[in-house]
Amino acid sequence: MKYATVYYEDVTVGAEMPPLAKGPIKQIQLTRYAGASGDFNPIHQDPAFAKAAGMGDVFAHGMLSMGFVAQSVTDWLGVGTVQKIGVRFAGLVRLGDVVTCHGKIVAKHHGKEDGRGQGVVDLELWAENQKGEKVITGKATAALLSREHS
Amino acid sequence: MPIQIDHSVKGKEYRPFVIHVERGKIKEFARAIGDLSPFYLDDAVGRASQWGDIIAPPTFPATFRDESYDTGALLKELGTDISRVLHGEEEFEHFKPIRPGDTFLCRTRIADIYEKSGKSGPMAFVVREMAVTDGENDIVVTVRHITVVRL
Repeated sequence: MKYATVYYEDVTVGAEMPPLAKGPIKQIQLTRYAGASGDFNPIHQDPAFAKAAGMGDVFAHGMLSMGFVAQSVTDWLGVGTVQKIGVRFAGLVRLGDVVTCHGKIVAKHHGKEDGRGQGVVDLELWAENQKGEKVITGKATAALLSREHS
Repeated sequence: MPIQIDHSVKGKEYRPFVIHVERGKIKEFARAIGDLSPFYLDDAVGRASQWGDIIAPPTFPATFRDESYDTGALLKELGTDISRVLHGEEEFEHFKPIRPGDTFLCRTRIADIYEKSGKSGPMAFVVREMAVTDGENDIVVTVRHITVVRL
């Protein structure tokens, strides 16, 4: 489904996305994300700093994991479909962790009638580490083309 | 050693800042996440798409930063430092696609500050909101960012 157009009529309430596994997380990816995002908090780079701050060791930027979660939605429903995405960071992602993103459709409704034949779906999202511990919970809204009006 | 944070920062509005969306930045950001969609990375695919160019991934506005409003400056105003801070929540609401060459105005404010006791002790929640508008003054994206300070 990665590059196919997913229509509003193609998804049903309760449908689950194919899980997206990312990682294992390596230090180089955290350094790369720091450069790309501009978030140079040393807590993601410097083990001594992280230890002194009481965090034990470095951990991943929450926003990197949110990027994984957003990718899981766009891989499933298409790039450019995400209208709204919000997450709560429920647990730290550590070096070596594999983050698996999950989601399901919880509601469908026709969006504002803009003549483009759109339907809107609401998703519940979550991501877990390899131990099954939740690291992210969240929600998204995606706008899909509708066959009815297209 | 518990700390107090300065609640008077609530309501503060920051000086607007300008963002020029760069083609290379979009690609660098997508690659850093490991999202290799051609709609983010391939100019020819972008040109032939409904958007006429590559677009940015949903969390790309995380790169919209300014020295006047960065986390370090905010933490100083609050009376804390980066070693006590965790990212609590983040939300993006998108209204228009983000493309290379776009110029945006970013307006930020501290929408709320509140304290709660969590499993690891007392914490303060600092809610920052950013509205991003284009040259037509249309809202492109809004960002809601909650920083958690361990007190």
